[in-house]
Amino acid sequence: MPVRVIDVRERVMAQNDLIATEVRQRLEAAGVPSLNLMSSPGAGKTLLLERTLADLAPRLRIATVVGDVQTQNDADRLSRHTSRLVQAVVTGGACHLDARQISAALDAVDLDDTDLVFIENVGNLVCPASWDLGQTSDVVLFAVTEGEDKPLKYPKMFKRSRYALITKVDLLPHLDFELDRAIGYLRDVNPNIEVLLTSARTGQGLDAWYDILHEHVRRASHVVAEST
Amino acid sequence: MHEMGVALEICRIAEQHVGSAGARFLTGIGLVVGDDAGIERSSLEFCLETLLAQPPFAGATIHIAPEAGDALRVDYLEVDDARPGH
Repeated sequence: MPVRVIDVRERVMAQNDLIATEVRQRLEAAGVPSLNLMSSPGAGKTLLLERTLADLAPRLRIATVVGDVQTQNDADRLSRHTSRLVQAVVTGGACHLDARQISAALDAVDLDDTDLVFIENVGNLVCPASWDLGQTSDVVLFAVTEGEDKPLKYPKMFKRSRYALITKVDLLPHLDFELDRAIGYLRDVNPNIEVLLTSARTGQGLDAWYDILHEHVRRASHVVAEST
Repeated sequence: MHEMGVALEICRIAEQHVGSAGARFLTGIGLVVGDDAGIERSSLEFCLETLLAQPPFAGATIHIAPEAGDALRVDYLEVDDARPGH
């Protein structure tokens, strides 16, 4: 009988997840936490990172991997605020970063001389949620110029994120955005998500954001110290 | 629209298994796609049909089984060990 069925049962993401696991092990061995920033286009990922690098780069050794569909404009913006490596990944049309790109980008980073890695994913609330990059934690940004119900429309992104930064809160007096309703939707989708209200323009809420970053760095280096 | 990336990965998995099974022609791919997998089914079908029209696949058909949850896997392959039409 020439026609037959081959049993496969292989996860489509298996190879990406394997590389993501290698990336995670590499970062953990070096005691370097990594945060994957995701949002719709224009929610303020790059501005948040510009401000974060300007405020923390003198004390923390931060490497950044920036994904964009085209141009390295965001990487150029960020590199003005740090002397550390800012790696641009131009995806050439793809709507997300994948683990292979992160692994290749990290090849150029001296992890022994790094405290923290930021990954700025491609602006998109759907596709990046399906790809493990080997990151320590996911951070989703959600601007008050968007609808309050974004968490309900894109639940997968908000479910997998540990932190939600509601950005551009300095604009609240000029908008009809109902903050309580937005936070309620966030909690409906992910009861454990940690919510921060931030404005990278005025600096509101950034101290809490920096506390989170310092805690990640402290915890990651502590784990390495204990294992050596 | 990450369905093209997913479709390419499905084709890579199919090619690998067809080769290791010593089969000659792929005639069908059985997929399981969860309703929470973040996949637009018609978009994935479009991408796969485009890729499967090219060698070495040449016209394999796609069978998508829905499932609850976020499953996304290649479940089975249908192969023909004889050259079609011979």
